[in-house]
Amino acid sequence: MGRKLLLEKAHVEGIRSFEVYRREGGYRSVEKALKTMSPEEIVEEVKKSGLRGRGGAGFPAGMKWSFIAKPEGVPRHLVCNADESEPGTFKDRYLMEFIPHLLIEGLIVSSFALGSNATYIYIRGEYAWIPDILEQAIAEAKANGFLGKNILGTGFDCEIYVQRGAGAYICGEETALIESLEGKRGNPRIKPPFPAIKGVWGRPTVVNNVETLASVVPIINEGGEEYAKIGVGKSTGTKLISACGNINKPGVFEIDMTISVEEFIYSDEYCGGIANGKRLKACIPGGSSVPILPANLLLKTAKGETRYMNYESLSDGGFATGSMMGSGGFIVLDEDQCVVRNTYSLARFYRHESCGQCSPCREGTGWMEKLLYRLEKGEGKSSDIDLLWDIQRKIEGNTICPLGDAAAWPVAAAIRHFRDEFEWHVSHAAEAQTRNFGLAHYADPIHVPA
Amino acid sequence: MVQFSETQMAKVNEIIARYPEGKQKSALLPLLHLAQDSFGGWLSAETMDYVAELLQITPIEVYEVATFYSMYNTKPVGKYLFEVCQTGPCMLNGSDNIIDYIGKTLGIKPGETTTDGLFTLKTVECLGACGYAPMMQLGKHYREHLTKEKVDAIIAECRTAVAANN
Repeated sequence: MGRKLLLEKAHVEGIRSFEVYRREGGYRSVEKALKTMSPEEIVEEVKKSGLRGRGGAGFPAGMKWSFIAKPEGVPRHLVCNADESEPGTFKDRYLMEFIPHLLIEGLIVSSFALGSNATYIYIRGEYAWIPDILEQAIAEAKANGFLGKNILGTGFDCEIYVQRGAGAYICGEETALIESLEGKRGNPRIKPPFPAIKGVWGRPTVVNNVETLASVVPIINEGGEEYAKIGVGKSTGTKLISACGNINKPGVFEIDMTISVEEFIYSDEYCGGIANGKRLKACIPGGSSVPILPANLLLKTAKGETRYMNYESLSDGGFATGSMMGSGGFIVLDEDQCVVRNTYSLARFYRHESCGQCSPCREGTGWMEKLLYRLEKGEGKSSDIDLLWDIQRKIEGNTICPLGDAAAWPVAAAIRHFRDEFEWHVSHAAEAQTRNFGLAHYADPIHVPA
Repeated sequence: MVQFSETQMAKVNEIIARYPEGKQKSALLPLLHLAQDSFGGWLSAETMDYVAELLQITPIEVYEVATFYSMYNTKPVGKYLFEVCQTGPCMLNGSDNIIDYIGKTLGIKPGETTTDGLFTLKTVECLGACGYAPMMQLGKHYREHLTKEKVDAIIAECRTAVAANN
């Protein structure tokens, strides 16, 4: 069993209260950071830890912090991205619901490191009950001198505010989030300027994911080098994985990125195997935007090596034969699932969530949805599959923000790996309305060229 | 007439104070939530104009935001709004059957409201409860691991609550 740095205490009775959280060792990192370290030293520790952004992009967090501009007399802000909306992802919700003080603690240390006196948590609007939990934690931290004016007598002032979104996946993109925080539609901004130079209200801003900011707590407590010893390669520390789909034990698991994908799916410690005794057909390992993989390419790389639950291994083979760690939203499909149908459902999602600013995304997502609907209903033509391929290629890379890519990749990967299932929907249109294509050859051992 | 109470106005001012001076427009999303909850579960033009006035911004700045975000209802909805997730992971766990079942039980299609004004059925995209699928949002909270039996119980629960208030 791997080490747990974030969720170890999540189920201690009463851990939502300051008193219990503090008794369990909480807020030590605030004392250490504010009393014995300079902001620069904290940034250095985070750099040393190798922590990568946990929202999906995996960008080194310490480096992101080091980009923040510090013009004289201009306030800076830290914004916590709690707009968790990537289908398959529900890890931040879990962390905020069960151990809210961990996030608040991470926010205080990070605010100090970045010089933010007013820090905002932007949480998706549908998580409507969680702001109450966070605001309670904030009030308790404040009552105990860890927030507000002159924290622990160090002279550092910090307030944390919670703002709810109102239903828009796009606001998980950091510049759309900033627009939304300013009371506008969630239309992503053109970069540069990056938020680190001009963010919310034109001020230098860092936007980090919930899990990233919570991870700052163990990094400060144990030191960046110790944190970096956990995991493997550039996948340091622990990662929260939210597992769902057709598995026996859906839920949130903290893993130390050294376990294999096979172990993660079949071990009772994690997913507990495929539900109802069925066989694994496919998996989207990092949230709906990342490429779907058939069972055989998921468990082993194209070179026939074991695939592991970490950034490097999941992306081994690039998009041709690999996928991505993404947000850690692990979606499992059993042998009875239809990949065409699943792709249609995701295409509908992206059409719904496109902000409409860039025409390739606005028009392309709707067009892909229509084509996939047609194919799924047995009314498609063989040329529709090529058309889909063509459209997704013309969206990718041609939009202001990555939503276009996120909409294109699932379609591309589904056609790349499951083309025969798509073609079967055309050639056996009537039959496709009565049964699914099934497992076919998707779990067969991969032929590794000598 | 649309107007916040004194207690609500205290909350409004507290929200506005979270943002830098002159940046009161930032309070728009929270204020629209408050307005929707306070004035019948939807945002009428009158309500939106009122919020615009409170924040000293133009009405169009409110309309464009209210129509962008899916949680704001720009048309009246039933007393109980069933927002059922239909995205990928929920679909893999049978959300289509749940949506059909709710529709048949209430005699409405997605987007419609029952004639007694009690229930509205709305399909929504991923709510971040994929491991507890199928699911829906009802008011502030999620109802997860939905089955036909659970749907029946939720509808009965709503009807009981209405009867108790009459």
